Amino acid sequence: MKRPSFHIIRPLLLTGARSSSRWFSYIGLGIGVLLLLLAQQLYIDIQALVKQTSIRKNGFDYISITKQITNENMGRDNRFSPTDLDSLRQQSFIQGAAPLTSNRFEVVATAGDQIPFASDIFLEALDNEFIDTVPPGFDWQPGQATVPLIFSSDFLEMYNVFAPSYGLPQLSMETASNVVIGLRCEGQKGGATFRAQIVAFSDRINSLLAPKEFLDWANLEFEGLPSANASRVYLKTTDANNPDLLQHLTQKSYRVNKEKTAFGRSKQILQGVIAGLGIFGVLVVALALLLFSFYLQLMVARSRDNLQLLLTIGYRPDWLSKQVARRFIPVYLAVVSAALAATQLMQYGFHQFVMYNRPELSSLLHPSVWVTAIVLTGLSIFTNMRMVRKLLYGLS
Amino acid sequence: MLLLPQLRNRGCGFFISLSMLHIDRIRPTYFEESACAHSEVWLQRVNVEPGERIQIQAPSGSGKTSLTHFLYGMRREYVGSIQFDSVELKHMNPDQLADLRLEKLSVVFQDLRLFLESTLRENFEIKRQLTDFHPATCIEEWAKRLGIGHRLDTPARLCSYGEQQRASIIRGLLQPFKWILLDEPFSHLDDANARKAMDLILEESEKQGAAILLADLEIVPHYPQTRLLRL
Repeated sequence: MKRPSFHIIRPLLLTGARSSSRWFSYIGLGIGVLLLLLAQQLYIDIQALVKQTSIRKNGFDYISITKQITNENMGRDNRFSPTDLDSLRQQSFIQGAAPLTSNRFEVVATAGDQIPFASDIFLEALDNEFIDTVPPGFDWQPGQATVPLIFSSDFLEMYNVFAPSYGLPQLSMETASNVVIGLRCEGQKGGATFRAQIVAFSDRINSLLAPKEFLDWANLEFEGLPSANASRVYLKTTDANNPDLLQHLTQKSYRVNKEKTAFGRSKQILQGVIAGLGIFGVLVVALALLLFSFYLQLMVARSRDNLQLLLTIGYRPDWLSKQVARRFIPVYLAVVSAALAATQLMQYGFHQFVMYNRPELSSLLHPSVWVTAIVLTGLSIFTNMRMVRKLLYGLS
Repeated sequence: MLLLPQLRNRGCGFFISLSMLHIDRIRPTYFEESACAHSEVWLQRVNVEPGERIQIQAPSGSGKTSLTHFLYGMRREYVGSIQFDSVELKHMNPDQLADLRLEKLSVVFQDLRLFLESTLRENFEIKRQLTDFHPATCIEEWAKRLGIGHRLDTPARLCSYGEQQRASIIRGLLQPFKWILLDEPFSHLDDANARKAMDLILEESEKQGAAILLADLEIVPHYPQTRLLRL
């Protein structure tokens, strides 16, 4: 078949149907695509932010447990034995368990001349995987004079509450990080003095954490004993509210520190909201395509006589449907491009003015958002072509 | 009559086509068999050979328009078989049917079926551009010949029924064809105009070696038929 010009048959088609229904479907499609792209980009942004503020969280909840102290078991050894730890690790709803080991020797911390402060303290150690903020270099090797420490944010807050009463200066996180602390370690087998520096603050762990290598070495070196059984254990789980997990812990008479799981939960909720936004976007896109199919049906119904006559005099339904469908490709491209541009603008605004140019985010859209936009354009064009084809073959 | 074999390329090689139309014992499903008893078409075998000029004479209500629509593949409420070049019409898909109408089969409907909002020229071009078989100058020439040259740029709805009928005939000729179906083509034309239209149809059909199937209430006097069939 020779290709006749569409120009000559154009007036016979695409007329009659109200343009308002067409514009409604375009706007609906635009809003749907915008919501979908925005949800995807926000999801990616949140992943990046959460990753930064909580290294190695990876979507897991971390909870700490202790053995319940009651009148009956008071005075007994209420620490976790290696058997207890193995039993915990074997549970399907627990992805990891790490003991919070502590020092068996005496430790006295001083804050130098500037801050006249000295106190007996305790040190604890935990596998790095279980710590929410692990800065680079949080490790220690024998012979190293400086010991990096992770300090509980709560402890700093507590210090700042009481410091003025003792004539001590209040400290910001930055200042506290710059204070050189003297660590005097004294045990039955000897002692040594180290310099220590706070390298990070932890929201989740109420302790003063030293690298595990240091504590294991020092317990052996100063006290001649390996690190003792821990009275606190950290658990890694996909869901801290899993009924099986809670039931198991209750059964074993373990006490859970639930408060510290709040951050993990709020992250999940936030991701849930974003996923909900994405699903809403998908629904709006589907609705817009449905609306567009109504518009096409209306258009075909109104041009029915003309279309039928064209098919009768020898126009191929195949060619005719391609010609009609092709008219809408630029529209789809324009709609998705506009939604993409709006998403880009919002991401730029979010990064620059809400997140103050945080380095872990980008002002530009993530490549996967572009891929989604391309896929959506293809999907719209494909469904449109199929619809027109079905309608025209129905007439012939 | 001599059958001229034609070579046709169908994409998978060449084969010989005889350009034959076979009508094999067809009957509208809404006609009783007894109503077709005296018909020379219904329930009969009719082979239409290239270049034949068949007159189908049919009184009102005997199914003349139904026959045209069946042969043109527009309706399928019939039993029996219609084959163009050995291909069963009922088995053709919409695109194959479009190809048949584009390359081999033309029609002039009794109810004309023009695009009423388009001008006569646009009506012609819509058809002509499909195949580009005839040059655009044909339109002017034939319209003048049938006396509607001055109406070419007038919307069809503003033309008289006689003018529309002549336009419908010209449109039917603006393509290649091996068979042309004419359903009461001169019903609104005076003798002189009917004769001019007939001459044009005969001339074009002869050029293309095509068969004509003309259906009318009465025998058309100026139609040099080679076979008369009563419906």
